[in-house]
Amino acid sequence: MSRVLVAMSGGVDSSLAAALLVEQGHEVVGVTMKTFCYSGTKSHGKTCCGLDGIMDAKRVADALSIPHYVFDVEENFTRDVIDDFVSEYARGRTPNPCVRCNSHTKFRDLLERGRALDCDQIATGHYVRVEEEAGRTWLARGRDESKDQSYFLWGLPPSMIPQLLFPVGELTKTEVRERARKLALATADKPESQEICFVPSGDYRDLLQKRLGSVHPALEPGALVRTDGTVVGEHQGYAGFTVGQRKGLGGGFPEPMFVLEIRPDQREVVIGLHDELFSDNVTVAELNWLQGEPKQGASVHVQLRYRARAVPATISASGEKLELALDDPFAAVTPGQSAVVFDGDRVLGGGRILKAELASHA
Amino acid sequence: MNPVYLDHAATTPVRKEVRAAMEPYALGAFGNASSTHRWGQVARAALENARAEIAESLGAQSSEIHFIRGGTESDNLALIGSYRAQRESADGRTPSVVVTTVEHSAVLEAAAYLETSEGATLTTLRVSPDGTVDLSALEPAIADGPATVSMMWVNNETGIILPVGEATQRAHARGALMHTDACQALGKVRVHVGDVPVDLLTATAHKINGPKGMGLLFVREGTSLHPLIHGGSQERALRPGTEDIAGAVGLAKAVRLAVEEQAEKALRLEGIRDDLEEGLRGTIPGLRVNCAKAKRACHVSSLGIPNVSDASGLLMALDLEGIAVSGGSACHSGSGKGSHVIGALYGEDDPMATVRLSFGLGTSEADVERALEVLPRVVTRMTAGA
Repeated sequence: MSRVLVAMSGGVDSSLAAALLVEQGHEVVGVTMKTFCYSGTKSHGKTCCGLDGIMDAKRVADALSIPHYVFDVEENFTRDVIDDFVSEYARGRTPNPCVRCNSHTKFRDLLERGRALDCDQIATGHYVRVEEEAGRTWLARGRDESKDQSYFLWGLPPSMIPQLLFPVGELTKTEVRERARKLALATADKPESQEICFVPSGDYRDLLQKRLGSVHPALEPGALVRTDGTVVGEHQGYAGFTVGQRKGLGGGFPEPMFVLEIRPDQREVVIGLHDELFSDNVTVAELNWLQGEPKQGASVHVQLRYRARAVPATISASGEKLELALDDPFAAVTPGQSAVVFDGDRVLGGGRILKAELASHA
Repeated sequence: MNPVYLDHAATTPVRKEVRAAMEPYALGAFGNASSTHRWGQVARAALENARAEIAESLGAQSSEIHFIRGGTESDNLALIGSYRAQRESADGRTPSVVVTTVEHSAVLEAAAYLETSEGATLTTLRVSPDGTVDLSALEPAIADGPATVSMMWVNNETGIILPVGEATQRAHARGALMHTDACQALGKVRVHVGDVPVDLLTATAHKINGPKGMGLLFVREGTSLHPLIHGGSQERALRPGTEDIAGAVGLAKAVRLAVEEQAEKALRLEGIRDDLEEGLRGTIPGLRVNCAKAKRACHVSSLGIPNVSDASGLLMALDLEGIAVSGGSACHSGSGKGSHVIGALYGEDDPMATVRLSFGLGTSEADVERALEVLPRVVTRMTAGA
């Protein structure tokens, strides 16, 4: 059996992934990535890669009798994930740091570390699967629909896919917990990670303020406007908003109002009625294709946010940017979030949403 | 194949003589040395016998040996305790603290704390890769008023032997106190407070095949220290708290054996170190033996390895191949990580990955052969992947 490097965050999923690989007879090497400096911050039981996570991973590795190492990716992580997170908000977009981490930091670093440690394969605790067919290897959705994490992995280097193992991808979360309990893994009943790992408080605006400085247009007051330009109120910094958001707009409107668009140049946040949230023409940039670029005119499914259902769409243009024509208008398509293109359960690739429009208005 | 432990500068296994000496107290006689009754008497006798054994081994008086919970605490007590005592008797003058760039963090951070929080005037002496310390900066730093000089006897990352004797002379000539952290020196070089008349000396059990969490501070008679911890009169009120009898007995046995075996051990480990360095020079192109020209203690070999960008990965790869060693490269790109010692000696932008191999009880020629086989192979893989 081969030597496998398994990324252990200290959560139950990657703990069980390591245990399953050991059961299957692999020589397993556990690693935990230290993504940022934890000194001076309080406990982060709820985040995936905190100091508690490192120690939990070490306990599990010891129980499984496998070696475990911590590697420091702070520098890359800060540059590729945190800096990006901040600059995206500064540009009035809503970043997805977990996608960014998987695409730019986690898997690339694992690959490099795996090479150094003579590991043939890389494993993680993601709820996704790898399918082989006719000599091609596909990244596919996890069996547990409610836990599927394929949305986060469209940015992986395509050449890496054949080297990946996702031992929990065939299981449901309930099964994972049951098996972890049966194996008496220390993390069997550990709660899910919820927060962004570098925003343990849950309030990302503190981080923006720290990194952008207190005087930055994204954090300055601006106008709340309707689509026709009517000023209907004031906001305390557009970085606090995301498309589709309802909270924080102040009261006094006869009907519920939602954020439709953020205009960083004017420091305006455009708000409107729920009906105005819909779009059916999505432009996607920073593309990555796992199995080659799909053809123009191809019918695909596209997932426009985590935990959203993939919706049918047609590829109307491809190349540097991808134009997707959605069969039906979709609410709150958000610039900065990922658009992930599927063929059934298989991930074809994806990119970052640049803009979305309603075709009739385009 | 059994893994090979080449990290004795990090910590050492408890030797069987030490374990045997500790056992009656760890498992049986549990008395409090401060108690009047016979349980207390048994504990007290063991504690004082241990103190006398250590004093004899180091050329000290029993009353000068204080049991402290480890080297870090002992260093802190020496620096902070002497600073506060000096400040109290210095009629308004701020005492000075002098350290070197290659001290252990326990000394560097205690000194930095005194500078930032208690107003100490801090001077840091530069050390060169050939082991020389810039002592020209010493006299001016201690010329004016009370001062404590702290210089480690043997550096933990490179093995270099620092000129503690000369520094002690110069410090005493100006009326300054002299402290040395001898954690890495004890058992590897001759450590005797009669030969080298320091005022304060730190040592710890776990570096000499004793238990963890037990150390000592030698305080020369007449030297005034303030305690850091309050709540009793144990250890002459310098370190209150119910004494760890088993630990003290273990430390004493470890110190005695380390001192008794020192000369023989130095000879044996020097042979092992030289064989290893010579072998690796032939198989790892561009290898730098750190501080090769310095006077070095027998048990540490610090190697600078070119073209390996990922020093921590090298340690992991070696561990997977069954070779346990430590790292310690310079802090690249000012990230604040890496070794302050290698950074101070070779510059913060030193491109080498550093691996420290350190030897001790049980290290054999077979271990060296194994390292000679594995290290070049892993280094080749790491440089090929770069």
